[in-house]
Amino acid sequence: MNRRQFIRDVLLWSAGATLAVPRFTVLAETLAEDAPQPLLGVAKGGDYGALVTRVLQPLGGMGRFVRPGDRVVVKPNIGWDRNPEQGANTHPQVVQAVVRQALAAGAKKVLVFDRTCNEQRRCYANSGIERAVRDLNDSRAVIEHIDQRKFVPVDIARGKALTRWEIYKDALDCDCYINLPVAKHHGLSRLTLGLKNTMGVIGGNRGSLHHDLGQSLADLATVVRPRLTLIDATRILLDNGPQGGNLADVRRMDTLIAAIDPVAADAYATTLFDLQPEAIASTVAAHALGLGEMALDRITVMEA
Amino acid sequence: MRRPALLPAPSTWRALGQTLFLLLFLTLFVTTDYAGVDELNWAVNLLFRIDPFLAAAAMLAARAVIALMLPALLTLGLTLLFGRFFCGWVCPMGSLIDASRRLVGRATTTLPQPGRRHLKYLLLLFLLTAACLGLPLAGYLDPFSLLVRGLTFSVQPALDHAATILFTWTYQQAPDWVNAATEPAYALLKRSILPFSAKIYNLSVLSLFLLLAVLGLSRLEPRFFCRKVCPLGALLALTARFSLFRLRGGSAECGRCTQCRLVCPMAAIGESREIATAECTLCLDCVSHCPRSRIGYGLKRVAAANGQAATNGQTANLSRRAILASLAAGALAPLALPSRPLARHGDPQLIRPPGALAEPDFLDLCLRCGECMKVCIGNALHAAWLEAGLEGVFTPRLIGRLGYCEYNCTLCGQVCPSGAIKKLGRIDKQAVIIGRAHFDKNRCLPYASGTPCIVCEEHCPTPDKAIKFREIETENSKGERVLVRQPYVVDDLCIGCGICENKCPLDGAAAILVTSAGESRHRHLFRQDGY
Repeated sequence: MNRRQFIRDVLLWSAGATLAVPRFTVLAETLAEDAPQPLLGVAKGGDYGALVTRVLQPLGGMGRFVRPGDRVVVKPNIGWDRNPEQGANTHPQVVQAVVRQALAAGAKKVLVFDRTCNEQRRCYANSGIERAVRDLNDSRAVIEHIDQRKFVPVDIARGKALTRWEIYKDALDCDCYINLPVAKHHGLSRLTLGLKNTMGVIGGNRGSLHHDLGQSLADLATVVRPRLTLIDATRILLDNGPQGGNLADVRRMDTLIAAIDPVAADAYATTLFDLQPEAIASTVAAHALGLGEMALDRITVMEA
Repeated sequence: MRRPALLPAPSTWRALGQTLFLLLFLTLFVTTDYAGVDELNWAVNLLFRIDPFLAAAAMLAARAVIALMLPALLTLGLTLLFGRFFCGWVCPMGSLIDASRRLVGRATTTLPQPGRRHLKYLLLLFLLTAACLGLPLAGYLDPFSLLVRGLTFSVQPALDHAATILFTWTYQQAPDWVNAATEPAYALLKRSILPFSAKIYNLSVLSLFLLLAVLGLSRLEPRFFCRKVCPLGALLALTARFSLFRLRGGSAECGRCTQCRLVCPMAAIGESREIATAECTLCLDCVSHCPRSRIGYGLKRVAAANGQAATNGQTANLSRRAILASLAAGALAPLALPSRPLARHGDPQLIRPPGALAEPDFLDLCLRCGECMKVCIGNALHAAWLEAGLEGVFTPRLIGRLGYCEYNCTLCGQVCPSGAIKKLGRIDKQAVIIGRAHFDKNRCLPYASGTPCIVCEEHCPTPDKAIKFREIETENSKGERVLVRQPYVVDDLCIGCGICENKCPLDGAAAILVTSAGESRHRHLFRQDGY
C-alpha cells in the first residue's frame, strides 16, 4: 500500500463512519393501520403450557400472530434477581410455552431478552427463563443478553413527554413483537403491567422516565407496538414491588390475560388488584393517545 | 554425555513449564467471575493461598494460623526439596517478565554482577516485621498481587474496550459477510477472555504503571524484580539455601569459559562457576548452554562430594547493620499510625465489602490482591486510595455511584484468599450491614421540586423495603399543587448495598448517598478512645 492508496482508504472509511448511527422513524401511517379490537382472553389453570393455548383461543390462537418465517421477539419481564415463586419476573413456564407455540406456528427465529435492573446474568439464571428457553432445544429459540450496539435513537412523533429515545433494534424491526409482562405492585406507578414492561427494550437513563412515568410509557407505546400482549398473573405481587422477595406478598392466581389491545390488557389486569383502570396513569395516558380501550364495559372478555 | 539432537534443551522444558503454568493462571484469572450459579468452583485465589510470603505476613499480622493459607507450606516444602523452582517455572509474574524481555529491550551483556540483591531480603524483613507490629504493606510488593491488580484493573478492561470499538465498528459499518466472521469471533472472545460487561476500576492506571514498571525494570538487568525486589523470591531464596536437590555448577577447571555466567538471568553463578542455590531459579539456561555439559541437577550431598564449595556464600552478604536497620524500620514505622485522625474516626466513605472483618483485622489480612474487585458482579468494589490510610491503598471499598452490592451475590467472600472478607452464605450475607443510605433533600426531586421519582424505592432489594415513601401534597416547581411520593430510609432495614445511590437518575452526585455509618463489623463492643 502506498501513501496515496492509504490516504484514499482512510478517507473512504472515515466517511463511512459519519453515517454510523441509523436513525429510526416509525411512521404514523403504519401505526394506524388497524385499531385493535378490545377483545380479551382470560384463562385460569395450573398447567401453564395448556393455559397459554387456552388463553389465545378466543383471539384465534398463536397462528393469528405468528406467520411462518416470522422473526419473533418475546419480551418477558426478567428484571430482577428473583426466583419464579417470588413473582417479580414472568414465570418461566409461561415464557417457555409462548416460545414453543411461536416456534410451532413457524417462526424463523424467536428472540427472548430484557434489559434487566439487577445484574443480567443473575436475572436470566435465577428467573429460570434462560433455562426454560434453552430446554426447548431448538436453535431457532434464542435468549440473549442486551447488546449495547443494538440501541438506536428513535423519534417519537406523537410523544408528549418523550420525543426521542434509544430503543432496542430487535423490538422495532421484528415481524412479531409479543409483550409478556408479569402483573405486580410498583411503588410509583402502583402496578407494572404491559406498558411498563416496554422499559426493558429502551436504553439510556431509564430512571428519568419516572419524572412523568405514565405519559412516558404511553409515548413509548406509540412506537413499540406489540402484536400481542400476554399478561402473566399466575403469581401477582401485592406489595414491595416491583422487586418483591417476600413470599407473603405473593398471591397465586394461575391466571393469564391475552389481548391485541395493549391498553385493554392493562385495564383488565388492574382489576385483579381490586383497582380501577383509572388508577394507573399509563393506562389513562395511552387511552388518551388513542392507543386502546380502557373502559371495562367496552372490553369484551372471553373466558377460555 | 551430549544430549541427542532431537531432544529439546533443558531450558526448553522449563519454558514449556512456564507456559503451562501461565496458561493455568490466566484460566483461573478469567474464571474468577460469576458462572451462572451462586457458588464459584475455581478462582485465582488458589495462587494466593500457595504464596508463603503473603501467608507469613498475614499470619504474623493476625497473630493466628490462617487455615485458608496453609497450602503455602506446600510451596515451602517443595522449595526445601527442589530449590527455587517456583520462581523459574511457576510464578506467572516471572514468566511474564521472561516473555516480555524482548519487548523491554536487552540489558547489557557484560558479566552479571550480584549487585544489591540483598535488598529483597531487607525488604522481606521490613515487611514481615511491620506486618507483625501493625503496618500491613506486604500486598503492595507481592508479585501476584501486583499482577492480578494490573490485569484486573487495567489490562482486561483495556482489551474489552478495544474489542468493543472494533466489533461495534464492524457491526455498524461492515457488510454482512464480514460480520458472519466477526460476530462469532466476538462471541467467542466474550465467552473466554473478555469480561462479561465493561468494567471500570479506581486506580487502574496506577496499577498498570506498577505492573509495567516490574516488567520494565528488566531493561536494567534481567529479572531485576526477581533478583532484587521480590519479597516472595527472598523468602523462597532463604528456604532454597537448604534444598535437598540443587544444580551443580562447573569449577575452576572450566578455564576461561564463562558461558554459564553470561546466560544466568539471576547472576547466580560466581567466578569459580559455583552456583548460589538461593539465587538459582532452576531456569536451566546454563545447563543448555554449557559446551561441556558439566552442569547437572542432583542431590546436595553428591554436589558436595564433587568438590563444590558451599554455595551459601553469595547470599550471606547481608550486613548485620542492614538487618538491624530493616528490623528497626519495621518495628518503628507502625508507631506513626495511631496519630492519624483515622485511627479515631474512620472515613465515612470507606464502605467495606459484606463480610469484611473489623477494620484493623481487615487491613491485617487483606492481601490487596484485587480479587474481590475482579469478581464483584456489580462493579461496586474499587481500590481505595488513601481513605484507609497509607497502608490501605488497593484495599476494596464500595463506591455506590459506580456500582452496587448485588443483594443475592456472595462472590467476594468466596474468592478472598485470606478470609479478610468472610465467606458467607446468602442469608448471612443479606443480614450484614455495610453502611446506610440517607437522602440529600436539597437535590432529591420529590423534595426539591415536587417531581415524582422514587427510583431508589423501586430498586431497594430488602423484602421489606428499607426505602419507603409518604404521599404528600406540595407545590411543585411550576407552582402547581400536586400529590408526590417522598421517599425516606428506614434505618433498621437498610443494609447499605448502594443500589439506590447507583440507580438515582440525577446527573452527577446522587440524591441518596450511602456511608459506612451503622456498619455491623466491629472488633470491640466499646470504643477505645474513652467517650
